[in-house]
Amino acid sequence: MNTKIITFIMALSTAVFTLSAQAHDPKEHMKNAEKPDCTAMEKMDKSKMDMQDPITQAMMKQCMDTMDMDMDEKAEDENESQSHADESTEHTH
Amino acid sequence: MSARKFLSCGKCLLITVGIAIVGGVAFLYSGLYPMGADVPHNALTYWGLETLRERSIERVASKIEVPNDMNTSARLLRGGADYNDMCASCHLAPNKKQSDFTLGLYPSPPNLSLARDEVGHANHGDELYSQQRHFWIIKHGIKASGMPAWGPSHDDQRIWDMVAFINSLPKLSPEQYQVLTARGDSSNEH
Repeated sequence: MNTKIITFIMALSTAVFTLSAQAHDPKEHMKNAEKPDCTAMEKMDKSKMDMQDPITQAMMKQCMDTMDMDMDEKAEDENESQSHADESTEHTH
Repeated sequence: MSARKFLSCGKCLLITVGIAIVGGVAFLYSGLYPMGADVPHNALTYWGLETLRERSIERVASKIEVPNDMNTSARLLRGGADYNDMCASCHLAPNKKQSDFTLGLYPSPPNLSLARDEVGHANHGDELYSQQRHFWIIKHGIKASGMPAWGPSHDDQRIWDMVAFINSLPKLSPEQYQVLTARGDSSNEH
């Protein structure tokens, strides 16, 4: 009987402890998470940035995806315009 | 003769202390002291409470060991998101001058987006002690001030991340603050 009571109390305290730990998990905050606005970062001159500064490094990490995508998009645009230019020169010949 | 004088002086002292204790207890029970947060303490009470708080924090916080890697981008990113969720409503953010909490709480929470000499509260020592002090306050809270203890629900590393962010906060522009405190994935926008 005593063993059952002790087991029950231990299980209950473990459950309470686990739930209290989960309540403050960073993932809890992700539901309404704001996305980083990297527009200011995109306009900045990268050559003038101090890459040793932890704030700059953190900004780069946060905006890396956006900046990579922008660079990919720019590259795609350049490729497309290049191919259009090639096509138009072919048609003129 | 001198023994009698000493005895009468001792009696006087005892009577004075007795009157002070009875008067103090009578004042406590009278309910005359204004407890509303919208009525500031008188200068003596404020000085007494502030001295009590700062001496108590200094005694314990100055022994805390600060991690070597405080100045890293990883800590800034982890601490920034937590600061925004848990602290910014009281301790504000760049370009934010006040909130309902800063107007209503007494004592008013310090604006941590300002440099240490602009905070409006006393400048609490050098950078090392400032970090030790912030860590202790975040972990343990401060009685009857509105500052909760985050220690029971957050481990030490997570609290140090917040301290690292608070250390860099006065240097941030509003745009940098937004980027560093956002938890979401920037690529999801596209």
